[in-house]
This record gives sequence, structure tokens and C-alpha cells, in this order.
Amino acid sequence: MHADLRLKDVPGQLVRALEPISTFGGNINGVVHHHEKVIGGRISVNVTFEVKGQKQLEGMLQAWKERDVDVAKLSSLFETYEFEYVLAGDISPQELRGITEGIEAVHDLDSVELRYSVSPSTGDKAVLVYGKVKQKAALDRVDDLLRQRAMDAGYLLIGGLGE
Amino acid sequence: MSVDIVMVGFGTVGQGVAEAIGRKGAILQSSFGEKMRLVGVFDSSSYELNAKGIDPREVLARKEKLGKVGARLDGSTVPELLADFDYDVMVEVTPTNIKDGQPGLSHMMCALTAGIDVVTANKGPLALNFKELAQAAEKHGARIRFEASVGAATPIINVAHELLVAEKIHSIRAIVNGTCNFILNRMADEGLPFDQALREAQELGYAEKDPSYDVDGIDSAAKAAILANAIFGRECTFGDVRRVGIRGVSQEAVALAAEEKKVIRLVAEVSPSRLEVAPRLVPTGHPLAIGGTLNVFQIITDLAGEVTLAGKGAGRLETASAVLSDLAALMRENCVAKGRELK
Repeated sequence: MHADLRLKDVPGQLVRALEPISTFGGNINGVVHHHEKVIGGRISVNVTFEVKGQKQLEGMLQAWKERDVDVAKLSSLFETYEFEYVLAGDISPQELRGITEGIEAVHDLDSVELRYSVSPSTGDKAVLVYGKVKQKAALDRVDDLLRQRAMDAGYLLIGGLGE
Repeated sequence: MSVDIVMVGFGTVGQGVAEAIGRKGAILQSSFGEKMRLVGVFDSSSYELNAKGIDPREVLARKEKLGKVGARLDGSTVPELLADFDYDVMVEVTPTNIKDGQPGLSHMMCALTAGIDVVTANKGPLALNFKELAQAAEKHGARIRFEASVGAATPIINVAHELLVAEKIHSIRAIVNGTCNFILNRMADEGLPFDQALREAQELGYAEKDPSYDVDGIDSAAKAAILANAIFGRECTFGDVRRVGIRGVSQEAVALAAEEKKVIRLVAEVSPSRLEVAPRLVPTGHPLAIGGTLNVFQIITDLAGEVTLAGKGAGRLETASAVLSDLAALMRENCVAKGRELK
């Protein structure tokens, strides 16, 4: 989610503003610090972050209030669901492209990352596929897609445990 | 008063059951007021039937010394020889045959259709013909118990049926093959390739010369089919289980999983909508990330949440322990039905 925070323009305020995110188990994805944008003696900082749930978000909001950090805007909270697979076997670059494009086409996808690994000694190949979707039902669509591709191309699909 | 038992199959498990009956019979008698007597024993080529009772120690000694338990079968079948014999419980512990369930299936059907209770460790007939066996038992007023068929000494079926009876069980995820677990564990801990870890398992006696029954997920799938029928009431067979083994698990895949703080395990998952055996990524520290040759079951329920059971999933006395627990359960039911006091 995104937050537009307003901080006092004094040293150390940025760290004080970001601390509550990690304290409540959040994950910061990006920070844009607008030094030039001073409104009422405060500077604007845009933070993109992930939060585990509503309770943790409320904790962050309370901590910001206590630290005199104003929250000018806050995007709505939406839940994401993670998927994770390891693929093992003979996986071609074309197949990797196909996997990426196939997952990117899944409705309600939030993010997807692929990490490719080849053993220098054995030539074994493995790929980590990790991502998030915004609707639980999209997990099944990713799963169906990868199962079908693994069956067609003949590599091993190792799925996560899910919930 | 006695419970007269005929044991069909006298290999590793059968001999373990005979030893367990010899060791624990007196305790069960004091608890349930009935003597547990062995009155028949069959191995693959010979048999002994004796209505007066057979001493378990004597038949074990005979098997060790002569390689047989009694007179030669000479072409006679178990159902033929038992047709006019009076007994109460058949303990069916012949080897698993996942192609057609035989000869165990015929043995069990012969007992059940005669109204004789069956206790078994044999996965094949249950994984292939569960419904037929359950129907035969119901129609003829017999009981069939099979705790030893899944998880051996780990009491998954009886816990689900008897201790979690008020729960709605959403799903069961389990490690049910110790051989696969040993191989995957060695690959992760020592960085061994699959072939080398398999050879090690064979040298230690965990895996057979032909390891396909274990590493291709056949054994796990048979157990998953039994759990699906017994616990979820699904009418399915071994062939309905979506099955992937562990042959394709590479060192690189194991290493990539480790970077994510995960291990690879062959997981059987059973629920009303899922019936699958496949390698899965399991977070380290999760109950299913168990090492060695142990079996583990994670039961997910509505009230109790997650219940985890772990124990030895194979072995002579471990499997015999599960058979004995089923025999004890039958004796307990007899005791209650006859209005005797449980001690």
C-alpha cells in the first residue's frame, strides 16, 4: 500500500517515520523523499510498503501519531496471497519466457519473480518462481498454469504448502 | 472365553504380530477378560490350524528353523482351508500388491463374508477395493480395522475416528514414506545427488533393490487413498491419486529451496477436494520438515486447529503395535457389547 507522510524538516525524522513499518512486521518496497516539497513546514515522503493485516496497520498509524508524523494520504489495504514453486529439470529460456508471460496474464496478479540457477558441476537447472496475487482464486489459476506447462514440457514442479 | 485369531501372512510383520501377541496377550486378557489365542498361521507355502491354540513362540521358532510354519499348502488356498474352521478374527498381513490387491483381497473377503472380523496392515486391498470391503463387512456384521496400513505405529486412523470424532477435519497433510524422507533429507543435509542418496538408503535397508514403490510415490499414494476413504468418506481408489515421485528432485532444486529456508518433502495431501502425492516446499521448522525415516501427519480441524502426530511408519514391532491396537479395540468393543467391566 502507499502512504503520503508529512515530517518535520529536521534531521532523523525519516528514520523515525519508517521505523514503525518494520516494528509492525511490514516490508518497505520504496521511499520517495520530496525535499523540495515543503508544506506548512513539513516535507512530503511517499512510502510504498506491505503490511500483514489491519491490526498491524492500526499499530503503524498509532506509532506515527505518537511520533508526530502526519499521514496525508493512505491507499486502501488489499490482501495478497503468496505462491512459490521450484521447477527442476530441463527448462529452456523459451519456457521461462512462457512461464513469465503466462503468469503475468493471470488476472489479479500482484507480482511475479523468477530466479534461475544452474549447477556448474552437474548442469542441473532449477528455477524459483515467487509471486503474489490479490485474490485467493488466482492462486489456483497460477497453479493450473504451472502444472500444465510442467506436464507439457516434462520438468518437475515442486509447489509450496499453501496455507 | 477367548478371541481366536488366524494370521494370514508370516513374514516380517506377521512374525512381529506373533511376538507381540506372546508378549502382550496376558495384559489384554486382564483388561478385557478374554484370552487372545492364535489358532491359525499361514505363510506363503505352509500353514497350521489348531483349534486348541498355537504357542506364538513355537511357531516363530519353527519358522526360523525350518523356514515354514506347518504343513505344506499343496495347492490349497487360504479360503478353502478356512471354510470349515471356527475362528473370530483374521489378521491379514500378506505383502501389498497394488495391481490387483491379491491374494490379500480374497483372504479378507472370505473372512468378512463369513462374518469374521479382519485386522490388516495390507495396503493393496484397501487402496483398491475399500468400498467393497466396507460393504462386505457391513452386510455380514463383521468389522474391519486397518490402523497398521497407514503410518504403522503412528495412530492416524484411530485418532481421527475416535479422538477427533467431534471435529470437522478439513485436510490431512502427511509424510508417509520414510524412505523418501531419508533420501530427501540426505540430499539437503549432505548435498548428495538423488542416485547416491538412494544407494545409501538401499545399503541401510530402507529402500528395496527396485525402489520404484517408494520413490515413485506408489506407497504414499496407496496410503493417501486409504485416508481419503477412511477419514473423508471419499469413494476413491489408488488410481485416483494425483501422483508425482521424487526421482526428478535435483541437487540444484534442493539448494534453491534451502536458500528460501525450505526443504523438499514428498507430501501426501488429502481433503474433500484434493488427493495428491507430490514433492512440496516445506518451511524449515514446520512439522512436515521432519528428518530421518519418521512419518508425520498434520491434521487440520475446525475446533482443535492443527493436530500433529509423528512416529515410526514402518518396522516389525512398530507395525505389530498398530495391529495389536486394533485387536485390543475389537476386544474392548466385545467387552462393552457383553456388558463386562473394562479394567
